[in-house]
Amino acid sequence: MRIVAVDPDACVACRNCEYACAFRQTGDFDRTRSHIRVNYHPAERACVPLTCMHCAEAWCMEVCPAGAISRNAETGAVEIDKDHCAGCKMCLLACPFGNIGFDSTHGVSRKCDLCGGDPRCVGSCTSGALEYVEENDAFAFKRDALDAKLRQALRLDRGRR
Amino acid sequence: MPRHVAIVGNGAAAISALETFRAHDRESRVTVVSGEPCAAYSRVLLPYFLRRKVPYAHLFIRDAAFYRDLDVDLLLGSTVERVDVGARRLELANGGTIPFDRLLLAPGSSPVRPPIPGLEGPEVHHLWRIDEAGHLDRLFREGARALVIGAGFVSLQAAWAARQRGLAVTVIELAERILPTVLDEEGAHILQASILASGVDLHTNTRTEGLARDEQGVLRVSAEGLPHFAADVVIVGTGVRPNDHLLADHVETARRGIAVDDTMQTAVEGVYAAGDVARGPIVGGGPRAIHALWPTAVEQGKIAGANLAGARVAYTGSLSMNVTEMFGVTVASLGRFAAEEGDTVYRMDTLPGIRYLKVVLREGVPVGAIALGGPEAARALGYVRPYVRRRAPVADVEAVMAGTHVARGVTRAWAGTRPGPVNEPIRERDLCA
Amino acid sequence: MSTERDVQQTLCRMCDDRCGIDVHLEDGRMVDIVGNKAHVWNKGRLCVKARAAIDMAYHPDRLLAPLKRTADGWQEIPLAQALDEIAARLTQIKERDGARSVSVWKGEAIGFGQQEDIARRFIHAFGSPNYLSNDSMCYAARYFGYKLVDGAWPVADLENARVIVMWGANPPHAHPNMTQYITAARRKGAKLVVVDPRLSAIARRADVHAQPHPGTDGALAWGLMRELIRTGGYDREFVERHTVGFPELSAYAATFTPEMVEQETGVPAATVIELAALMAESAPRVSMYVGNGLEHHENGVNNIRAVVSLDALVGAVDREGGNRFVQPAPLRTLTLYDDVPLEHLGPLGADRFPVLYDLRQECHTMTAMGAILEGDPYPLRAMVLTGANPLLTNPNTERVRQAFESLDLLVVRELFMTETASLAHYVLPAASFLERSELHTHAKHQAVTLTRRVCDFPDVQDEYQFWHDLAHRLDMGAYFPWDDETALNRWLLEPSGLTLEELEAHPEGVTYSPLAPPPLERGPFMTSSGKVEFASRYLKDLGYDELPVYKSPEYRGTPDDEYPFVLMTGARKLLYLHSRFRNIPRFRTAVPGPEVEMHPDDARALGVAEGDTVTVTSRIGNVTIPVHVVSPEEIRPGELQITHGWSEANVNLLTHDDRFDPISGFPLMKSVEVRVTKVGAGE
Ligand SMILES: Cc1cc2nc3c(=O)[nH]c(=O)nc-3n(C[C@H](O)[C@H](O)[C@H](O)COP(=O)(O)OP(=O)(O)OC[C@H]3O[C@@H](n4cnc5c(N)ncnc54)[C@H](O)[C@@H]3O)c2cc1C
Ligand code: SF4
Repeated sequence: MRIVAVDPDACVACRNCEYACAFRQTGDFDRTRSHIRVNYHPAERACVPLTCMHCAEAWCMEVCPAGAISRNAETGAVEIDKDHCAGCKMCLLACPFGNIGFDSTHGVSRKCDLCGGDPRCVGSCTSGALEYVEENDAFAFKRDALDAKLRQALRLDRGRR
Repeated sequence: MPRHVAIVGNGAAAISALETFRAHDRESRVTVVSGEPCAAYSRVLLPYFLRRKVPYAHLFIRDAAFYRDLDVDLLLGSTVERVDVGARRLELANGGTIPFDRLLLAPGSSPVRPPIPGLEGPEVHHLWRIDEAGHLDRLFREGARALVIGAGFVSLQAAWAARQRGLAVTVIELAERILPTVLDEEGAHILQASILASGVDLHTNTRTEGLARDEQGVLRVSAEGLPHFAADVVIVGTGVRPNDHLLADHVETARRGIAVDDTMQTAVEGVYAAGDVARGPIVGGGPRAIHALWPTAVEQGKIAGANLAGARVAYTGSLSMNVTEMFGVTVASLGRFAAEEGDTVYRMDTLPGIRYLKVVLREGVPVGAIALGGPEAARALGYVRPYVRRRAPVADVEAVMAGTHVARGVTRAWAGTRPGPVNEPIRERDLCA
Repeated sequence: MSTERDVQQTLCRMCDDRCGIDVHLEDGRMVDIVGNKAHVWNKGRLCVKARAAIDMAYHPDRLLAPLKRTADGWQEIPLAQALDEIAARLTQIKERDGARSVSVWKGEAIGFGQQEDIARRFIHAFGSPNYLSNDSMCYAARYFGYKLVDGAWPVADLENARVIVMWGANPPHAHPNMTQYITAARRKGAKLVVVDPRLSAIARRADVHAQPHPGTDGALAWGLMRELIRTGGYDREFVERHTVGFPELSAYAATFTPEMVEQETGVPAATVIELAALMAESAPRVSMYVGNGLEHHENGVNNIRAVVSLDALVGAVDREGGNRFVQPAPLRTLTLYDDVPLEHLGPLGADRFPVLYDLRQECHTMTAMGAILEGDPYPLRAMVLTGANPLLTNPNTERVRQAFESLDLLVVRELFMTETASLAHYVLPAASFLERSELHTHAKHQAVTLTRRVCDFPDVQDEYQFWHDLAHRLDMGAYFPWDDETALNRWLLEPSGLTLEELEAHPEGVTYSPLAPPPLERGPFMTSSGKVEFASRYLKDLGYDELPVYKSPEYRGTPDDEYPFVLMTGARKLLYLHSRFRNIPRFRTAVPGPEVEMHPDDARALGVAEGDTVTVTSRIGNVTIPVHVVSPEEIRPGELQITHGWSEANVNLLTHDDRFDPISGFPLMKSVEVRVTKVGAGE
């Protein structure tokens, strides 16, 4: 399956993804309603996008006492069935990344559903920090970056004057 | 080698075990025996059903197709009376027997009825089984008077449901305060204010002396220090007892529950136990304990299911975690939240959506936490949970609780899940969060 | 009844990045916009402005009928009548005051290329040289910097760079999809250097972030040149063979020691040395991109020239991983500068800023205000303005207002009733980019894309149709022989060998000539000497310094105690573009209003907290505006930033329209002396 892989080393915290997601959820740009969040720490210059990884063994899904969380057979997304969600918040407590939110108006949990297989956050990530890739390729950019570092360290790839 | 595996119980632990077992072993025969006559349902949702948040039909969490797909013989309405360990068979109340090669005991626990004179009749129920919830639902008529005995997690949820359904509610608790296993005093205090504000008549430190019917046949309650009052419905929530009698010969009488090792195996080879009935290892070591909670049942079931299939996985121990909303407050707690000498206590009550947040650390390692407020309270504890579970030290507690520094190395703790590139690859695989 | 679904592929023009988009329609109505995954530029990614184009096009406040100002307010009139009346007025004014008393003003919203050129064509055909545009304040100064040194403005070859230098540019907000090119290079190991007084979005990813005081970039560039020369880290061969003025350059650079640079710019001496070393070891794969941040200063062009000279020193000119000269699209030109030269009529500003007119045929908008108000150098009485809102975007708003109010004829083509439109005699409804079909060039990829009319409103004319219809009423129809924009597009394309059909079939862009590897032998360059010019003979002849001499900004040289802060204006934000999109409700949810960015130390000293209101006062005006206290890393103490385009707190009430860069005539907008007072604290 494909997941939204995040590369904090490319993220500039422009918040396009948050707006795009919030818009899909609510038709508005209230970032607090986005399922993807970017934590920005000016002192460290750190930008950390966080979104559901649709974990292979999704603890939120396993622990849901209402059986309301399941995996979409087509996209592999871990999805919440609003009709069956009781609003007990066990999944909020279960997710270590805070990737589940709560819709207080309807009293149900809410989370990323990969937009049915075409995640809007990725489509709006102009820095390229988000990619919708096969989970095995999710480390690819880390590998590339490591490779580049190594090459530089070994001076294999020096430009010639 | 295919075998016959029997599972006693059809609750959280049993289902989790069954699913895990089948992920490993499609060959063996599996029989699930449950004393309750209906399909699997979620006890956790019963208060939500009473609150009318969840319709009756949605209480059921697995349908017939589920068992069919997993190729399981399902025996509903069959109570197991004994396990004949020597003969390796179950003895049913109806006289039948079921042989097994391997066994999982997941019969949960049963509510205890306290020795209060007159505590009986069609108005008196626990909130434990689905049929009891059904009875209560019918008794929940607007304007009716409800007595809730006990101020624990389930009782208070029942009280809130009754209140939301328009009943006049009195809660009587023998102990000094509400929710001793779920909240500390300060947290209890905050919640108590909301309980009172909702119009519930709450009396702690109060003994329910007895109930008696008057001439009209109405139950009248006498409680220490209170004028007599009438009750149209009585909910008894004074504690539960594990259904450990099934393996009575192998249970220490002094301590409740069936002791299991970290593979969920009991003292009897090939016999496992999980869920409310099991006294198992807990996070951080220390004496085995029963965490009679849904997540623990799921985790233990998973371990037991894998080991029943011969996978040999070990449990890192259960961690108590509670979350619910009652009286308009999200109440969440985790681990050991009562500070002991030498602990460091962090208070962060100003985070958005939080009214009370406390984290207890021992030598830099978070060991427990409490949060009250909006849904954010549950989320905040979610952030710290992996650290508690992994006993990993935290440098910047506030950032963790605010969700701005999500566990990195520590996220390996989040349970055999696949990491995104933010995280290091999982080197060791835990099965449970 | 089933809905009919359709997808139309075109370009987004919510900003000038022009990303490829798929517009989804249901029963002919736009319902969604997503990225065109195949488009050469954006590869499927879009910023969130793109989807808001639907909201813009169907906005309830959209102007859909011509309006005429009358004594009783606005009156809707038929389009033909409006055009007839406008033509009649123009003719009268021309007869009375001469053709040059009439001008056109083309705004950023219209775009460049053919749309700009149609406006230029129109006014020349009319007989006036007075073509005014947003380029008086954006783009042209950088063009001059590159043109004067390199002979052309090359594109930065970011993807192949070893070091990328974003100098006064913040792509995530200003050119969102440029960011993915930077990321691609960084993933291949490129280092990123950002030069910006603020910790901008792109600076968050910088390996080195140099934070010069506003307007001091030239000193930093000179300091880097000195280091490169001193350490021998420059490309000797390139300099010897392909440049002029190196001896002068190196003599002038000598005074810019790292210590002096630190003193002047605030960039630590060690950073200067580190940066120079990084450039030297990465040469020639040093790819610099200069942003608008350098343009709005008293010494803008020379600062830019100094930066551009660095490219030559490291031999990055027309080199892979440095910058590349690209082929322009082989399209016909629409302008009439050769057929109808009008220089003798004194294009506005051409005497004060000869380079502006000579190199770009731009008139000077701020000079135009004087022509309107004081008849200096001659009266300007009429203006046809399209896709611009100078009442928010030109400096010294008060003067712009007075000028526009005193015109005998102001015609504004707009989507909405803007501050500028509200002063017009006639407001004509204009077509948004989704209602026009135009050719667009992505120079970086040497590709052309044709946009499509995705929707239509009756009586809302596209740019071409408007100029065409007006021209035909003014007896200059011969210059506008094409029936519609499609016919025009066909004519424009003819010499290229490409056909409209081909472009229609390839909305992802068609390459007009493949990007060849850079020539081994470089030059001749398109300068007068045929070489890269560190020293410019051309400028010298016009009376300017031949070297890009550094001048300290006035606020540093002669500080004014009364105005102790230096205010930068115009930093781009993701959701708004210049004065546009303030009426898109969800943008307001995200960013409700203007704010002044302030260092926490300054906020503390002023006794203000986040959200408190302050009055910011310059020598010419003041605005009252909420404070945004940023993190200490994000701006320096004593420096402030306010983004333009907000009518609630229009920062151009503070900016000067009489302090210019002497070469480009660009106004001083990014280092304005101001004071700040807490509202309610008493002045
Ligand atoms: C009203 C209520 C609310 C709760 N809310 C929460 C909550 O919010 N959070 C939380 O973590 N926990 C909550 N709990 C506790 C949670 O439901 C239990 O911890 C969990 O269900 C235990 O799972 P289990 O599989 O061990 O037992 P159970 O789910 O109780 O399953 C036991 C199964 O065994 C069967 N059985 C029992 N004895 C026999 C026998 N002799 N023969 C055959 N079959 C038998 C039963 O029919 C049943 O199918 C709540 C419980 C109740 C009652
Ligand atoms: S960057 Fe955004 S506004 Fe600009 S063209 Fe691309 S999608 Fe449109």
